[in-house]
Parts: sequence; structure tokens; C-alpha cells
Amino acid sequence: MQEELTYPQEGNGESDAAFSRYVLPELDVLYRVGQSITHNHADTEDLVQDTLIRAYRAIDRFDGRYPRAWLLTTLRNTHINRNRRRRPELLRDPALDMDRLAATKIGDADDPEATVVDPVLDASVKDALEALPPRFQIPIELVDLAGLSYREAADQLGVPVGTIMSRLHRARRRMRTQLEAIGFRELELD
Amino acid sequence: MGLFRRSPASKSECDEIGRLLQRYLDNELDVNRACTVLVHLEDCKRCGLEAASYREIKQSLRRTGRPDEQTASRLRKFAESLTTTDHR
Repeated sequence: MQEELTYPQEGNGESDAAFSRYVLPELDVLYRVGQSITHNHADTEDLVQDTLIRAYRAIDRFDGRYPRAWLLTTLRNTHINRNRRRRPELLRDPALDMDRLAATKIGDADDPEATVVDPVLDASVKDALEALPPRFQIPIELVDLAGLSYREAADQLGVPVGTIMSRLHRARRRMRTQLEAIGFRELELD
Repeated sequence: MGLFRRSPASKSECDEIGRLLQRYLDNELDVNRACTVLVHLEDCKRCGLEAASYREIKQSLRRTGRPDEQTASRLRKFAESLTTTDHR
């Protein structure tokens, strides 16, 4: 469902250039992190579109430092605003989770990494991520999904780098333990 | 297998590698320490398998939520339209 966000006024050449420079390269990252937040393709696309509109409107005030972190903050704020406006009965519709599995890709000829994709593993990893409390889940999203460095993730969350390292370590250990508990012993024992 | 095989890793060595492993997997180590970890992972089966399991989780996360081609194209067109369209 598309939110009622007004379109931005037409920008000037400078802000258009800044938008192209800072925002366009991050579309994939915005989608991936959005997907981890909404768990639903249609919602993710709407969320990213709204985020792009907000980013476009704010690009003149952006100082050019850490564009990815800035965009991810915008994405999260957009998501919070969308949920505030959304009717309660539309929240967490379990039927929407069905397209999570349906959307799993089983191979991509252009991507050697994807040729060994195990859709069950991917769905289980996703479940393990979602089972984490937010203080562990968010660093994983920032570092593994969005590709931020430890320093960028620390700045984004306003915590020391050491805290990011420790939370990542604990989060991954929990995920690994959960995967082993449901039968992914081969991950460790070959 | 080389002629001069290193002796099995000690527990303290494995513990030290365990402390560096996540940073190694995230490319957050300097070259010297990254080399130390790499050599250890090649020699020590237990640590090597542990690293492989974390690597699989990271790769799975990277695949997670990747937009399909059509979605990626729609989003790109939408983003580009913001800079090229008069929305008033």
C-alpha cells in the first residue's frame, strides 16, 4: 500500500546531482535492509520508494558524509512513520510471510555464489536473524545486509566500535547455535 | 601437503583466533593479523569449519532480500524519475 507522501518539488541541478551521487548506488542496500524490516516484497518496494522521496526532499541538508548510514536512518524513520499511520489490522498479516519462501531464489547463473543456494538454509538463517533481540539484530543488518564497516555501524547506532564487535559476535553465535539446533550440523561438522 | 607440516594448533592459539575471527570475516583486520588467521584456519580443522559455518551464514544473509531484476529496475527508474520529472 502506497503511503500518502507528497512528491517533492522539482529540485535544482545541484541537488539532483547529489541525489544521483549519494542515493542511486544504495538502492540495492535499501531494498535488502527494507526486506529484513518488512519481510514482504510489496511492502519493501513501497518503503524504499517512500524513503527515496524523503531522501530527495532532504538531500540539500545532507552533508555528504556516510551516505549509506544516512539513508538507512531515513529508511528506519520512514518505516516507523508508515507503521504509525497504518491501520492496526494490517500489521503483521501472517499471510504476507508466505511470499518470503516463495521469493527465495534457487540459483543465478550470473552469480557463482548463488549456484549453491540452499533455500531451506536461507529461510532458516532469516528466521534465526528475526529471532534475535533488536540490539543484536540491528548490527547484523547494518554490517551483513547493508555492508557498513564497524565504524559506520557504530556511528549509526551511537555506540563504541567495541560494542558493535561484541554484539555481532554474540548475534552470530546465537544464529549458529539456532541453526545447529534445527539440524544444520553440517555447517560445522562437514 | 607440504614436507614440513606445522604441529597441531594449541588451545590458546585457537582461542586467540576465535577472538579475531569475526573481524577477519568482516575484513576489519590489518593484513598481518588477517594472514595469521588465514594460516591458522588452513591448519586447524576445527577453527576452519567454524569459520566456514560463519561464512555460510554471512553469504546467506547477503542473498537475503536481494531484489529481483524487475524490482531493481522499477526502483532505479523511480529514483531517477525524482531527478528528472517536474512533480509540481
